[in-house]
Amino acid sequence: MSRGPWVTAGVAGVIAAAVLGTGFVVQRTSLPVPPPAAQTALRAATWFQRYRLVESAFRIGDGPTVHGTCLQDWFTVGGHRHRGAALRLDSGFVLLAVLPHTLQARGGTIVQSATPPLVLLELGGCPRVLARRLATLATQRRGLTQTGNTLAFTLKATHIRLTLDPRSGLPVALRVVARDAEGVGRIRFATVTTRIRHHLSRGLPVYGS
Amino acid sequence: MATLEQVGSAPLGRTDAARERLRVLAWIAAWWAGGRGLIVLTALAIHHFGPNGWIRLVEHAHALGPLEAWDGRWYRMVAGSGYLLVPGRQSDPAFFPLYPVLMRGLHVLGLGYSAAGLVLANVGFLGALVAFYALTKELFEESTARRATAYLAVFPFGYAFSMEYPESIVLALIALAALAALRGRWGWAAACAAGAALARPEGLFVALPLAALAWQQRRTMTPAARGVAVGAILAPLAAIGSFSFYLGQVLGNPLAWTQAERAWGRQFSPLGVVHAFEHLGAAVSHDAWVLRDVAAVAVYLVLLAAAARAGVAWPWLLAGLAVVVLPLFSGSFDSVGRFGLLAPAAFWGLAALGRDPRMHRVILGVSLPLLVGAMVTLPLRFP
Repeated sequence: MSRGPWVTAGVAGVIAAAVLGTGFVVQRTSLPVPPPAAQTALRAATWFQRYRLVESAFRIGDGPTVHGTCLQDWFTVGGHRHRGAALRLDSGFVLLAVLPHTLQARGGTIVQSATPPLVLLELGGCPRVLARRLATLATQRRGLTQTGNTLAFTLKATHIRLTLDPRSGLPVALRVVARDAEGVGRIRFATVTTRIRHHLSRGLPVYGS
Repeated sequence: MATLEQVGSAPLGRTDAARERLRVLAWIAAWWAGGRGLIVLTALAIHHFGPNGWIRLVEHAHALGPLEAWDGRWYRMVAGSGYLLVPGRQSDPAFFPLYPVLMRGLHVLGLGYSAAGLVLANVGFLGALVAFYALTKELFEESTARRATAYLAVFPFGYAFSMEYPESIVLALIALAALAALRGRWGWAAACAAGAALARPEGLFVALPLAALAWQQRRTMTPAARGVAVGAILAPLAAIGSFSFYLGQVLGNPLAWTQAERAWGRQFSPLGVVHAFEHLGAAVSHDAWVLRDVAAVAVYLVLLAAAARAGVAWPWLLAGLAVVVLPLFSGSFDSVGRFGLLAPAAFWGLAALGRDPRMHRVILGVSLPLLVGAMVTLPLRFP
């Protein structure tokens, strides 16, 4: 059999491999790698996106530690289903934030009622609000500062310092500073069960779907 | 560059040939300057007078701000800080790497990323016009080359050639790849075809005309030369493979570019084209400007039909059809007006229609106001 076809196939293979190799080397040597803070934020955002339920223990100012549960869910408002978050604290405080315009709070202590809702949602680790902000800042590669296992960023008028597990990048604690309030807390991701959903949506003026 | 008529009659002296080449280059440069000048003037008008649309921030950032809008931001982001896949959100692996790599090259020379992108796109378009002219002249005759080049220079959707988009570079590389293959320089054909695919996925389709040319030349080639030709046909695929390989290394996901495209609503499926028509009503009620891209599909299909009637070779027609029709399989008409710019056969079809002097005047008379009009819609709808 003639060697011609083998030579043709061999040369074609070499050319294709050269293109593959050169293309890779050009990209590897000329394109930068995204800043580590953006990559860390992305990992943290992925954790927040993976869970809809977060349990927290936090303190506002010098106040006592409260335990909270934040559920990210669909709620029916005015006959339409909207995404939202329900944060329930063991003090009896309930905060409901449903897009686009529903924000209701009731119960709890005077300090909790006086604290800006965004600060409470952040301290409660409400996943969607934090995931969206982290993903946006990671996409834009700006507004993120990483110091060791801590990621600092702002969300509207609040300054957040998110502490991450060094190995997995799992968010474990956060500190929120706003103009009129300050708080620190720990968060833990949990799995949503029907019982928890019923418990959290109990007495809410809108209904989880 | 000698004309066909001159080649058929008497040989040109070296000085005459050089003079002729300069004359043709000046003619192309004049069309380029005319078309681009119109776009720059329109961009200045948009900057000062609006309309105010989605790109308000870049539009008013500086005089040429409108030309940096939309995907330009993503290319600048890749050039400035590399790729990052954000699951479930629009992110930059959807944008191929050659253009940001070239932007970085100019950035090293002291240009900002925005300026580098605009220089590349606009100078690249001059190169694209020259390469397209040379390719068209090689495949047809000079009058067709002149008409096709002039129409390309002022084609209404061609405002994207002046924006921070890689289309002009890709078109130049597609034309150069085919030109090199026609002249038997298969190594260059491989390099240009690879470059085209590394800048836009549509660059892949240049493999079709390259395959046909390699088949035509097979009897005159040695086995090794045949291997280089086959390598050139495989080069676009290998180039896309290198991008996947790179993303696999950097992001741990070789298919990050297809995943990122899903966030733009682009997910290919066999029934995608049916979905594109099914969802058209909803798409129009959401943003009526999508009708512009629907019209673009129709226009490109008519131009490809005209090219087929004019005897354009089927691999070029097939490549053109792939560029125009395949995006519809992602379930959307979005941006087909821009994608079609990478189908040289469409412009050969337009040149065939423009053979009639009256039609020629109509094409130019309609193209120029449409080019300005399309540019004015830039703040309202992405290209």
